[in-house]
Amino acid sequence: MSQEKPRSGTPAIPTGRAMPREDRLSPPNWPEGRAAAPNGTFSTIGKRNRKVEGLAKVTGRAIYADDITLPRMLHAKLKRSIHAHARILSIDATEALAMPGVHAVITGKDLPAWFGIIPWTEDEQALCEEKARYVGDAIAAVAADSERIAEEALAKIRVEYEVLPAVTDIDTALSHPEWKVNEKAAEGNISKQVFLEFGDVEGQLAASDAVVEGDYWYEGSTHAPIEPHCCVAEFDATGFLTVWSSTQVAHYLHRDLAKVLGLPTQRVRVIQPVVGGAFGGKSEPFSLEFCSAKLSMITGRPVKILYTREEVFYAHRGRHPMRMHYRTGIRRDGTLTGVDAKIAIDGGAYSSFGLVTTYYSGQLLTAPYTMPAYRFDSTRVFTNKPCCGPKRGHGSVQPRFAFECQLDKLAEKIAMDPIELRRKNFIGEHTRTVNGMRITSNGFLQCLDEVERAAGWSGKFRKLPYGRGVGVAGSMYISGTNYCIYPNEMPQAAVHLRLDRSGRATVMCGISDIGQGADSVLAYIVCEELGLELRDVRVVAADTDLTPVDLGSYSSRETFMCGNACLDAARKLRHDIARVLADAWGCEPAQVTLAGGIACSTRDPQRECMSVKDAFQRAEAKLGTLGSVGWYQTPKLGGDYRGGTIGASPAYSFTAHVAEVDCDLETGFVRVKKLWVAHDCGRALNPVTVEGQMEGSAYMGAAEALLETQDFKPAAQYHGPGLHHGPSLLDYRIPTSLDTPEFESLIVESIDPEGPYGAKEAGEGPLHPSVPAIANAIHDALGIRCDRLPFSPPAVLKLLRAGDARAEWERARRPLAAAGAR
Amino acid sequence: MLTIPVYQWVRPASLDELLAHLRDHAAESLIVAGGTDAVPNLKHRLHEPEFVVHIGGIAGLDSIRDERDGLHLGPLVTLSELSAHPVVRRDFAALGKAASLVASPQIRNMGTLGGNLCLDTRCTYYNQTFFWRESLGFCLKKSGTVCHVVPQGKRCVAAHSSDVAPMLIALGAQLDITGATGTRTLDVDDFFVGDGVHNNVLKPGEVVTRIFVPATSRGLRAGYQKLRPRAAIDFPMLSVAFATRLESGVCRGARLVVSAIAARPRVVGGLETLAEGMPLDDALGERLAGAAYKQCKPLINVPYDQEYRQEMVPVFVRRAVREAMGEAA
Amino acid sequence: MPATSFILRLSVNGDPRECAVTPGTTLLEALRYEMGLTGSKQGCDKGDCGACTVVMDGQPVLACITLAMACEGRAVTTIEGLARHGVPHEVQDALDQSGGAQCGFCTPGILMSAWALLERNRNPSRDEIAQALSGNLCRCTGYTKIFEAVEQAALRMRAARGER
Repeated sequence: MSQEKPRSGTPAIPTGRAMPREDRLSPPNWPEGRAAAPNGTFSTIGKRNRKVEGLAKVTGRAIYADDITLPRMLHAKLKRSIHAHARILSIDATEALAMPGVHAVITGKDLPAWFGIIPWTEDEQALCEEKARYVGDAIAAVAADSERIAEEALAKIRVEYEVLPAVTDIDTALSHPEWKVNEKAAEGNISKQVFLEFGDVEGQLAASDAVVEGDYWYEGSTHAPIEPHCCVAEFDATGFLTVWSSTQVAHYLHRDLAKVLGLPTQRVRVIQPVVGGAFGGKSEPFSLEFCSAKLSMITGRPVKILYTREEVFYAHRGRHPMRMHYRTGIRRDGTLTGVDAKIAIDGGAYSSFGLVTTYYSGQLLTAPYTMPAYRFDSTRVFTNKPCCGPKRGHGSVQPRFAFECQLDKLAEKIAMDPIELRRKNFIGEHTRTVNGMRITSNGFLQCLDEVERAAGWSGKFRKLPYGRGVGVAGSMYISGTNYCIYPNEMPQAAVHLRLDRSGRATVMCGISDIGQGADSVLAYIVCEELGLELRDVRVVAADTDLTPVDLGSYSSRETFMCGNACLDAARKLRHDIARVLADAWGCEPAQVTLAGGIACSTRDPQRECMSVKDAFQRAEAKLGTLGSVGWYQTPKLGGDYRGGTIGASPAYSFTAHVAEVDCDLETGFVRVKKLWVAHDCGRALNPVTVEGQMEGSAYMGAAEALLETQDFKPAAQYHGPGLHHGPSLLDYRIPTSLDTPEFESLIVESIDPEGPYGAKEAGEGPLHPSVPAIANAIHDALGIRCDRLPFSPPAVLKLLRAGDARAEWERARRPLAAAGAR
Repeated sequence: MLTIPVYQWVRPASLDELLAHLRDHAAESLIVAGGTDAVPNLKHRLHEPEFVVHIGGIAGLDSIRDERDGLHLGPLVTLSELSAHPVVRRDFAALGKAASLVASPQIRNMGTLGGNLCLDTRCTYYNQTFFWRESLGFCLKKSGTVCHVVPQGKRCVAAHSSDVAPMLIALGAQLDITGATGTRTLDVDDFFVGDGVHNNVLKPGEVVTRIFVPATSRGLRAGYQKLRPRAAIDFPMLSVAFATRLESGVCRGARLVVSAIAARPRVVGGLETLAEGMPLDDALGERLAGAAYKQCKPLINVPYDQEYRQEMVPVFVRRAVREAMGEAA
Repeated sequence: MPATSFILRLSVNGDPRECAVTPGTTLLEALRYEMGLTGSKQGCDKGDCGACTVVMDGQPVLACITLAMACEGRAVTTIEGLARHGVPHEVQDALDQSGGAQCGFCTPGILMSAWALLERNRNPSRDEIAQALSGNLCRCTGYTKIFEAVEQAALRMRAARGER
């Protein structure tokens, strides 16, 4: 049962929305279930297929937002605050407007409506009206004939600021509530507080045989997609707005454009072109979208805004820095007792998804291990820095890092192998977590087995020479959640499927492919259900005029939710066609199969057969034009307490990593030789794209562990507080091909009962264990505990010299050797 | 997009044409060869010249001539060409290595030996966009009055970031500077000065026209070690170049150069007593490491830990000596 | 002060092309915005990421920091020119098959660097591949499937030419 300590300053969530209604929509219940192949064996699912847009990408023909040019298009640029915290006293654009080639200038008063991705925390404006809250906050926009002219015009806009004291870290935010970063905060600089307790934590800790306490710092990082944000907006003479934007959330963008611009939603169309990476950095509306639209409305011409790489750093919405304190207890036999967490979160200047982040910082830790008692107390604060938001593994990567390091320390304390410890505490399948989350399929044990075997764990752990080591970590993640951002009872994903008498299928879905292969998932499902070849399926995605609503690519929901919607739509049509053919052949519909381009009966496949194209035509002649709708809504999930649905998912993925490191004792440089990644994705609809997500996630985690930092300059004499230390891809370092570990992907399939063909997520889960696995490997190698990110050479060297690392290393080996560990 | 300031384009077809233009317009001209340093700096508005003088393609400046007296290199030789050249690989391998470690393959295809030699100094407070520098309040090197690395200081301490320069100094190389009044030859060591704003002795109107590595430096035992966060793209946070002749088992004329820690490469002093006539071994590496540590004090002018870079000086000196010994570093 | 325009003449993907540029126009701008060849991408616009990699006179270079006017008379190959008569080059096909293109934004630059490598080395080791691609940042794949694709392409190219 939960206990929530009342906190003032927490924005009140309206009553009645804590749990979904009883009469909630429910997707069809297929008697045969969702997991099995329609025809006994899979023809498309599980095969190493190409992606539907792959050829376009490798030939340079894929159209990204900046590839779009419209007739008479203008270019716009944003003027940004040079101060971390300042009142805007006046903006004088007269000189700018007088320049030849400049068509319009807008400021905050032209777009005063507040917005924010979470309806309870709408604390952003497209252009700041009263105050700038971080260096880079947008305060004006200019539309001109060219980028160059727009840039020159920006320089001519005169802004008068009143500089205010800047808050650039958690402690200052808490100790100086009078330096109020964000006026929408009810109390000081508190963005959100969550306190939840399940079971008797103190009692459990007191009854433990060992308790480990630790302080952890998880450094902030940013997504750094190779494609910067870009938006093209066209407002036509009928009052209709079309916006092409590099976004993951066409639907939310659609709603917020209408709201901020004062347009009816029916007069707005959002199209997502091909997106060059997002990772959560494009999951909410940004200034460029509102400004390009508004400037188009004013000038009557299309307007494009392309962020420079530097501006992408100011848009940010990346990983929240978290300071975490954990107490974890264990019994001598290896079973966990209680877990207590106190977490401080640096949110940057606005809320973004912060409400969710704060919940996720605690709610997603309660599997794959059983926790008899669990408590977390998380506080997110505002600071005068670019706003943090969801980055791959939103809000759960940080606590997972701390917790998996805690487990390693506990394992050491009781002289138990860390993999064995994790097995010992396995929560199981078809069960509930201590905070009320429903677990169904769970392949975590297989994941541990796989990495243990593939890495040769038993021959390496505590056995390699000084400087080399291996480490393990586990995790779980959501496959989408119950929580649909704005309160409503409508489906979270939907598909319209059309079958054409030419033998083609067209899938229309709001799904957002950001490189993970989401569009292709729909195609694979249609191929499987209807016996089509990949090239005979067209996917039309993320165009709010053409496609039914999908909420977007975040929380790893696309495959599970859109996949299920697509499965339903395709299966309905398959059953329709099967009935028509069964009638014609005089057999049962269950005896009709569609596979490999052929429709036939299982009882007489030679004579009772025709091409799938002919089958479509037969069905169209009998039933009328063929089309179907599929949609997905999550079941009622979550704990019965405030916030109990946040983190509640219809299915959880599970992951285990083993990392092997080789450390340079003189320089502190840690080379991650290899990461073995075992991930339970339910079923790999396409092993190629699942491996791609596993490798890409592990890459991103390793990069956070070793290289990436969000440093903000200390105050220089006149300016400088809150200035990002290096807003470029030269100074903000992501690993090159020479810096990247070797990856081995090990797919585990637990065949989820509710996922499309048993599939669960693979896009974010596989990132989590990489960071703690590397930290634990460093401990095995050097006898030091990297509790703070990043594990840079200077940091590692400092730790090596801080105590007697070698002695610690030897000590850690003794109990296991004595115990005759295998 | 980062737009480039407006300027007039000048493309001299010959050295004479180049010098003629510079005679009248040196102060308002930016010379661009490969552009890998100049163009990003233009995009950052660190230079807003009236003329950009593109010298790529000027005949005679891109040759590699292996002669009796030594290796004659044109300033327009690209870093890729330099590191792949058979004579460089055979006789001056450490120089080829230094060139091969610059940035990325694409940049090495574009960037030139002369360009890397004349690389603008770098600092975390300088190599940023105009917007960023305005937010900071500018700096001593460009548009401001304060050095943010040494706030009380009056001199710019932006770091020398060339990879070829310290190696050329260790190899005893020379270069020719040509101007309106003719050509003068000087040691590469004398080319650099400790001024972060302008760290070489080129006067307006002068260009480097030849780099010369003497025959006596052929087959020197040499090593080049570069410290940087990633294994590609990054500028050096610290670099060490070491070279020595080995005669009858002992060092003659050894040189040790530590770079990226100050505005010019630092030639470590005292090798006459520490190295001359002594074996090329780990003990030498130890002695040189100690001397370098005492003499080289990095400043926080590049984004990496200052204390750490100082600690790495002896580590990388030892590694450079081991490399020269032919051992794995 | 508006800049003076010049007509740049160069060869792009085997075709003689002309376009209007100013002294400050980069090759990337000329390709993307003047010539409509949007395959080469702008990731950072200052030479840090490699998304703009094109091949000029046989060598991979960064179009975003190449001044267009320095390309007078040169021969440039972009991603659009890699396929022959509409048939993708082995390395393009291999990248598609291996899953080495996720979001696809770094892909054109990666392919140009890989193609240039394969043109001079038909049997590259993994380390040589990693070296050749070290100036092309990819945020999605972790590079593994890109390496596999280049190795596959090399195998197919050797087979096509009867080499082992």
